[in-house]
Amino acid sequence: MDGSAKPLTDDIDLNGVTRTFSVAAKQVHALRGVSLHCAAGSFTALIGPSGCGKSTLLRITAGLERPDAGTVLIGGQTPAQKCRTGALGVAFQDSALLPWRTVRQNIALPLQILKRSTPQAHDKIDKLIELVGLEGFENARPAQLSGGMRQRVAIARTLVTDPSVLLMDEPFGALDQILRRSMNIELQRIWMEKRATTVLVTHGIDEALFLADRVVVMHRDPGRIGEIVPIPFPRPRLPELFSSPEFHKLEDEVADYLYGGATA
Amino acid sequence: MKPGHLNSSPGHLPLLRLLVLLALWEFLGDLHLIAQGALPSPSAILLQWWQDRAVYPPHIWATLKPALIGFVIGDAIAAAAAFAFVLLPMFEGLMRGFNIAVFGIPPIALGPVLVITLPGDWPQIVLAAVSVYFPTMVMTLLGLRDIDPRPIDVIRSYGGGEVAVLRWLRLRSCLPGFLSGLRVAAPAAILGAILAEFGSGARWGLGSFLLGSLGRGNPPRIWGIGLTATLMAAVAYGLCALLGRRFSASMAAVTIASGRIEANTSKRGGARLLTVLLGVGALGMPFLIWWAILKGFGVSPVIAKTPLGVWEYLINAPDAADSRDTILQALKESLPLAGVGLLIALSVALTLAVMGMIWRNLTALLMPAALILQTMPLVALTPMIVLLFGRGIAATLVVTVIVTFFPAFITIAQGLSKVPRASLDLLDVYGATRLQKLRMVSLPMSLPYVCAAARLVAPASLLGVMIAEWLATGFGLGNLLNTARGELDYGMIWAVAFVAVAVSVGFYQLVKLIEEGVLRRFSPASATS
Repeated sequence: MDGSAKPLTDDIDLNGVTRTFSVAAKQVHALRGVSLHCAAGSFTALIGPSGCGKSTLLRITAGLERPDAGTVLIGGQTPAQKCRTGALGVAFQDSALLPWRTVRQNIALPLQILKRSTPQAHDKIDKLIELVGLEGFENARPAQLSGGMRQRVAIARTLVTDPSVLLMDEPFGALDQILRRSMNIELQRIWMEKRATTVLVTHGIDEALFLADRVVVMHRDPGRIGEIVPIPFPRPRLPELFSSPEFHKLEDEVADYLYGGATA
Repeated sequence: MKPGHLNSSPGHLPLLRLLVLLALWEFLGDLHLIAQGALPSPSAILLQWWQDRAVYPPHIWATLKPALIGFVIGDAIAAAAAFAFVLLPMFEGLMRGFNIAVFGIPPIALGPVLVITLPGDWPQIVLAAVSVYFPTMVMTLLGLRDIDPRPIDVIRSYGGGEVAVLRWLRLRSCLPGFLSGLRVAAPAAILGAILAEFGSGARWGLGSFLLGSLGRGNPPRIWGIGLTATLMAAVAYGLCALLGRRFSASMAAVTIASGRIEANTSKRGGARLLTVLLGVGALGMPFLIWWAILKGFGVSPVIAKTPLGVWEYLINAPDAADSRDTILQALKESLPLAGVGLLIALSVALTLAVMGMIWRNLTALLMPAALILQTMPLVALTPMIVLLFGRGIAATLVVTVIVTFFPAFITIAQGLSKVPRASLDLLDVYGATRLQKLRMVSLPMSLPYVCAAARLVAPASLLGVMIAEWLATGFGLGNLLNTARGELDYGMIWAVAFVAVAVSVGFYQLVKLIEEGVLRRFSPASATS
């Protein structure tokens, strides 16, 4: 928007990331020596049981938490440096909207924090509202919207800075299965348009398979990466994919890794 | 509390009920049926009010003006303090002793001290400001702290720091808290301004008017003054409530919320040495501020006693032993009454609130009345109670119970309304009786709120006792303060004020210790997380 030539996407490089918490005087290894590289423009899904550290990993990547050891580089810079440029878009399980702001004002928040509000931003926010299908709700407040609509506002908000990296922590976790599926299809459409490097944390195997280039299965105690499963389906992926035999086969494979990891 | 629930009866019924009540009051008053005419009829009160109509405006203005100025000054300081506490938690630790002391000050004890120290309207302004500081500060701080953590992550993921969080998030989300703080503070400012007129010798002001009318045997006038003061407090409360409603449709807290704020800070700090230093600083800070204010204003040391001056008076002076005996004797008279009054008020409040949890209509019926009645300035109340109950212990107890009951009931009932409905539903599933629900859910769940209520209203109970003693009974601390003022015994005035604050703070800390033990077992947070 501002005309400067910034690279459209950045890669993500996690190297030996370790994080421990003390819970009730006990050391819990949320993450131990996690290394992962996400190529620029790729879509990675993190999946695993509760407590495997997948959310922690995402928060560390977003610079919201610091690792005890290891490094995180996004396009060669630390998250702290990167986030001040607006290169990160983060979506959470909760829409985290400010209740006193309208849809439009909520989407504008990142620009205000980065001190980048310009008259042109207005048009851009209009386009984003259109992109997430909320025309007509520009001036509604969060309390007037349904859960799915709020989540779409949150996604429009993550896109407003033209981020090179999208980090999503179960963004549809609180939605029902039907809504979730239609949001998955929308997210794919948005992602194909923007091509930001994306990391999605999810509980849903089907969601991971449908959206990602590869699925990273994590295990717990200590939190670590188990298997990495490439997803070969061509894009755009259509809803019919959910019921295809290939999809089910891959679903079973990932499930095996997940439950095998839990009993091992 | 649901309006639809209450209005299921025809709309004119409450009005009708009110009219019946008024007619009954008129009947009782006209026939002098209660306490030989101590309860005048509404028409007699109105008639007297009409006859006094020329003097009311100057009296009202003389109270209202300093109350307003003090309200603005006190709230500004309170809001600034809350912001400073959020940005510098260490500063809050340092000011903790000061905050609790301000909370514990019985305004009636501070009044005479201010009257002898400050010129003109200033005693009233300062006492109004002191009265509003704590509720506004606490509610603002709560609003600033108690924010949704998830938008913080959003702000931080764009590189926003503490200042950005303050600007985009805390500033706006503290508004409902700040406004409900104002709502509690507004009647307090009027009460403070009235109390500072006690012993000031001022010609105008509702407090002066009341004191001047006490011995005249004119109950309708005393009732008129009391009702006017009550009306002023209610209007001030209503205006602030209206303002608050514009910014938040659902503001639950009406009395000052308490408990969580201090829990937040005590865990921080890290090094043990630092904690000890902070503790010493917090303890010393009220004395330092006391000393600094007096030095700053350059008041004569004969009139204004610094902490050292009070020490001198109570410990080193030739007649120190006599002074101590006098104060101890007064304490022996006042404290049991404050304690008993507090216990009665808490038990009644708890009983009604817990019953209201099972018979919902009870709370719906009592809450609106409690909200209005708690704004009643108790000075205005005391003469009426004395007229009705005489000048003995009964009157003191009634004043204390009334003063403490309403805020206690509101705190407990509002706390209980937050109890998850599911825990009662669960018992219903197994066909539990009301008694079982009471024993297994309602009572244990109300414990934390009973403690919070006790802590909140403990200083008010001492205030109630002292006002009754000053105005009516001629016993105890209140009376001692009044006579010391009459005899210009400056040392005694300061010593009584100090002792009253110390007792109040001591009681507060005691309840807090008990509360911490209770919370560890019965905290609603530990059950729901």
